[in-house]
Amino acid sequence: MAQQSEWEPKLLGFLCRWCSYAGADLAGTSRKKYPANIRAIKVPCSSRVDSLLIIKALRLGFDGVLVSGCHPGDCHYLTGNYRARRRIAITKKFLEYLGVEPERLQASWVSASEGGKFAEVVTEVTKGLKEVGPNQLFSERKLDGTKTKAGS
Amino acid sequence: MEQKLRQEAKALLEQNKVDWIIGFEPGSLKFTATPLITRDKNDTERLIINPFIVNNLADFLTGIKGRVGIVAKGCDSRSIISLIQDNKIVREDVVILAVPCPGLIDLVKIERLAGKDRDELDDISRDGDKVTVTVDGQKKEFAINQTLFDHCLACELPTPQEYDILLGEPGPPAPELEVSGQNIAKLKEALPAERWEFWQNEFSRCIRCYACRNACPACFCQRCFVEETEPQWVMPVPRWQDNLIFQIIRNIHVAGRCTDCGECERVCPVNIPLRSLAREMYGIVDELFSFKSGMDKEALPLMAHYEQEEAEDLFK
Repeated sequence: MAQQSEWEPKLLGFLCRWCSYAGADLAGTSRKKYPANIRAIKVPCSSRVDSLLIIKALRLGFDGVLVSGCHPGDCHYLTGNYRARRRIAITKKFLEYLGVEPERLQASWVSASEGGKFAEVVTEVTKGLKEVGPNQLFSERKLDGTKTKAGS
Repeated sequence: MEQKLRQEAKALLEQNKVDWIIGFEPGSLKFTATPLITRDKNDTERLIINPFIVNNLADFLTGIKGRVGIVAKGCDSRSIISLIQDNKIVREDVVILAVPCPGLIDLVKIERLAGKDRDELDDISRDGDKVTVTVDGQKKEFAINQTLFDHCLACELPTPQEYDILLGEPGPPAPELEVSGQNIAKLKEALPAERWEFWQNEFSRCIRCYACRNACPACFCQRCFVEETEPQWVMPVPRWQDNLIFQIIRNIHVAGRCTDCGECERVCPVNIPLRSLAREMYGIVDELFSFKSGMDKEALPLMAHYEQEEAEDLFK
């Protein structure tokens, strides 16, 4: 059980260059506290995030993926986040059907002025991931049913 | 119906209205039909229509140059419409020979019911709601919903909506959604971890032969992501992890194009219940975006379109 408390989830964040990434910056500059579990990747737009990237991240052993972009209607490229919304929605629902915990793929709209919301979202997502535990989805199973290292 | 098809197909070729005819001819094995793709008007004599014309012929359209006359059941016609929506083919280049389809007979189910291999069966005939199987001179009767493919039991469009020539009278649809959705419903009741384990076991059988991809009319990419090497999204070795990723992404790619024709599951050599994945995606797309693929040729493709407000409950 001691190991359990030491374990920290690894969260991969795909943040849109125009809103959420700036929102994350603002969270930093305004000294908002949020968990250091997130590894942020700057993407040009939330619609850049292919479902493959999401699944590859889970395959490589990330415990969760957060995709964050501009609020609907505020996309720098006008319609990018509407398209992202459709794609992420079907990916999320489909993964749920396969048996991936819904906490592992999260999406949010965070604008450049919402540093506080960014901190809240990351806190909430990290909390959810701590509840579902380490990602062992793609780990190799031994014949007795126990699992080996994640992502191997 | 067969005679009319042969006449029409011959006339189309003779009058130079089409360059190719795509249809079915008798297969080399019992109770099978094989796709027939021809430019020769004499070949049209071999065209058939029976309860075993299982292939989705729309799959061949993207690989053929020129105008095509194609035999289409309801599901095939939806795939054709879906290809038109995606600008893969032009409506004017296709002559749709519509077959009102009362459902296709699943030989695997027949074998299970009769307890015999298909080679040992003498005859399978359908009369209305009954299917009669003759084995060693003995006749056995089965109800039609025991013998049809699962996807036929969930059929929403037995007769093509969009056609140029209609062969025969449109019959009423005979959906048996409950029977058809049994496997999916059972799986949905299980816990997430159990479901994942189920798929893990299923996909450890997968040999990545790509039959599902090749038989799918919606899978028309020139270069599939699995063959990309920079970056290499999936490893070439068919391990279950990569097999499953391949199938997840394949289903996401064909979302809004998949018409639930059931070809992926039928062609799978290791019997992975692929249709339950496809069916679920079909349901998700319908539930979230009220989108049914292949119903309206004027409609924009799913991923080329959006509404101001939708699916918001999935976002923080």
